[in-house]
Amino acid sequence: MRNLFVRECGNYKTTYKNDMKLFGTTGDKVKWLILLLLLFTVPFYVSNYWVGLLTLCAISAIGAIGLNILTGFTGQISIGVGAFLGVGGYTTAILTTTYGLSFWISLPLAGIVTALVGGLFGIPSLRLKGLYLAIATLAAQVIITFVISRWDSVTGGTAGMVLSRPSLGNYSFVSNTSYYYLTLIILLLTVLYATNLLRTRVGRAFLAVRDRDIAAQIMGINLFYYKVLAFIISSFFVGIAGALLAHYTMIVSPELYNIHVSIQYLAMILIGGLGSIFGSILGAAFITLLPVGLNSIVDFLTVYMPDFYQLFSAFKEFVFGLAIILFLIFEPGGLAHIWQNIKNYFKLWPFSY
Amino acid sequence: MKHKKYLGALLGVIMLLLLVACGGGGNSSSSSSSTSDSTSTNASSDNAGKRTVVVGGLFDITGGTGDVGTPYAEGEKAYFEYLEMKGGVEGLNLKLVGKDYAYQIPEAQKIYQELRDKEKAVAILGWGTGDTEALRQQVAADQLPFISASYSENLKNMDESPYNFLVAASYSDQGRAILKWIKENHEGDGTPTLALLYNDTAFGRSPVEDIKAFAKEIGVEVVDEQVIDVQATEAQSQLLNMEKKNPDYAIINQTWAATATILRDAKTLGIDTQFIGLNWASGEGVIDIVGADVAEGYIGILSHAFPYEDMPGMAEIKEYLDAKGKTIDDIDQKFVQGWTAAKIMVEAIKNAAEKYPDGDLTGVQIREGLESIQNLDLGGLAANITFASDNHAGTEKTRLGIVKDGRWEPITDYFSHRD
Repeated sequence: MRNLFVRECGNYKTTYKNDMKLFGTTGDKVKWLILLLLLFTVPFYVSNYWVGLLTLCAISAIGAIGLNILTGFTGQISIGVGAFLGVGGYTTAILTTTYGLSFWISLPLAGIVTALVGGLFGIPSLRLKGLYLAIATLAAQVIITFVISRWDSVTGGTAGMVLSRPSLGNYSFVSNTSYYYLTLIILLLTVLYATNLLRTRVGRAFLAVRDRDIAAQIMGINLFYYKVLAFIISSFFVGIAGALLAHYTMIVSPELYNIHVSIQYLAMILIGGLGSIFGSILGAAFITLLPVGLNSIVDFLTVYMPDFYQLFSAFKEFVFGLAIILFLIFEPGGLAHIWQNIKNYFKLWPFSY
Repeated sequence: MKHKKYLGALLGVIMLLLLVACGGGGNSSSSSSSTSDSTSTNASSDNAGKRTVVVGGLFDITGGTGDVGTPYAEGEKAYFEYLEMKGGVEGLNLKLVGKDYAYQIPEAQKIYQELRDKEKAVAILGWGTGDTEALRQQVAADQLPFISASYSENLKNMDESPYNFLVAASYSDQGRAILKWIKENHEGDGTPTLALLYNDTAFGRSPVEDIKAFAKEIGVEVVDEQVIDVQATEAQSQLLNMEKKNPDYAIINQTWAATATILRDAKTLGIDTQFIGLNWASGEGVIDIVGADVAEGYIGILSHAFPYEDMPGMAEIKEYLDAKGKTIDDIDQKFVQGWTAAKIMVEAIKNAAEKYPDGDLTGVQIREGLESIQNLDLGGLAANITFASDNHAGTEKTRLGIVKDGRWEPITDYFSHRD
């Protein structure tokens, strides 16, 4: 067996098949096994509170990967993520609460319904680009939340709807830990799907559309088909994330899916790294945990300066904005790029050239 | 290298900004009248053998409703400080741990988890309608009693929100009380006509259907409805539409800013409709924004007492303020509202502690404590509160007040639409 600690250094691949391998070296496989083991055993050594936060991170990561397929890979900006989350959440709420379907059926259905709605709002993308498309998707955000809050007989209007946690046989996913495992498994499946998507014709077509759509069309890529497909695939995952979130909070209401949520998801993929799956996860974790971290700093400072609680609270917003600006200036590649840089540094360490 | 230089410069600038901001903040906070003490009332040293009871708080200090959320949060904190000043509750070590969630529901979700898992809170004092409704299923699953500043009718539904408690008349009951008052005091012939002005949120739309139903029942005609955004700075088009129907009265369910916009634009357009606000549309803030002459004659629901009203319940607040070197000019009605919410929660904890003298108190026990509250006298600060195991709406009673010479004056006592 080769030494585990010898890293891949240089490119020795001689076939395309070799180049496409997901786990090229034994080291890769061991690394992933350790990571999986760590993720699955996390609930044993952290508190219930952290398990809850990690669950929220995992749910956001699923949505962020979905958005990244659309924005990062295909280059189609969308400000309608919040509303698409809502479509997923409401679909599962209506199916499970009103029609009594099982969660295991309603979850994929929520994804499919959101995919259809997403595809519908993706149709203008053939003619619209950049800012214009952004405004078109903003319309999706407005229209969907308007429908949700007005269609009282189906959605319960502004009062929202109540859901229950999923159950499997007699086992109910009420505890934080069980729900964490559920979301973790779905996140891993999402990662697996998205990584493989990029290795297919469809994934490469997405990248071609992003880089220059006219050139892509000349190469024989059907622009309309692939752009709408990107909207459909992306919305599917956003819908799944919305459904998971709905069953986690056990409630859906129109105010949960406002424009602020859309912007947060865009911030996740910007900070994480456009066009990177690993970056989507890092970004989701960063945006979810940043307010928590800032809160604990505020709490810590308040112990010493009790009179400034209000001032520090106001500063949280300031720091949030500052973080995004600093990322855009100093590391447009996002957290994923920072991670890559660190890895490259240690690959050559201690004798870099 | 170049990057590092920039980064250094940037850090320097940030530090400078921080310094300036802190200095500025120090000045403003010393000149402002607010108490902003530590969020957690620190446990004193002689707590050996006492049972610790942690109450979690969700505050809005920096968010959209921070103007009313800040004094409300201060009122809640002040009551816990007052209790500690008076020696606390026998055998208990009561703590309020509160955090600012900036009126963002996802934030409220995270802070709620933190309060539940990290701080081990057994009861929650909440704030807005959106987040209270978003959390009601979770507090039911976690069995934590929840008192919030939202008086939405939805929370009365015991199947969906078995752990939520309403400490003042719900928005719908306030609307019904207004209708009853209109019916009894309307001068002139024919049926009184009414318009509804609200915003398109869970809060704004909460009482609309109930008001319409009750109006039909008692014979008040609802002739018009207008949606005015909660952050509206202009409402002339909606008011002109309303004016075509020429209603005698208009009920406003908004917060201070939008209410002020409506009153100002109505004055500009010369509309003579009598405006009547629900509890968040009334209070000192409205007069402060539009000025005394525009607000003159505006009627509103006064769910809680004003600091300048001579009520027996004010004695405790005055005692607290004296100890802190403050006067009643430093507080407002929302402070009183927060104070009473905290007081009701503490009352429930006392009841629970008496009934269960051993072991740590749980949310279920405090819920029983709340449900055993019978006609709790709040000394006129708010209507008396009664809960039961099948009724979590503490009261249906509320009262009306009118703006006279830049001050709110009550025109009724606490009454219910059923009386």
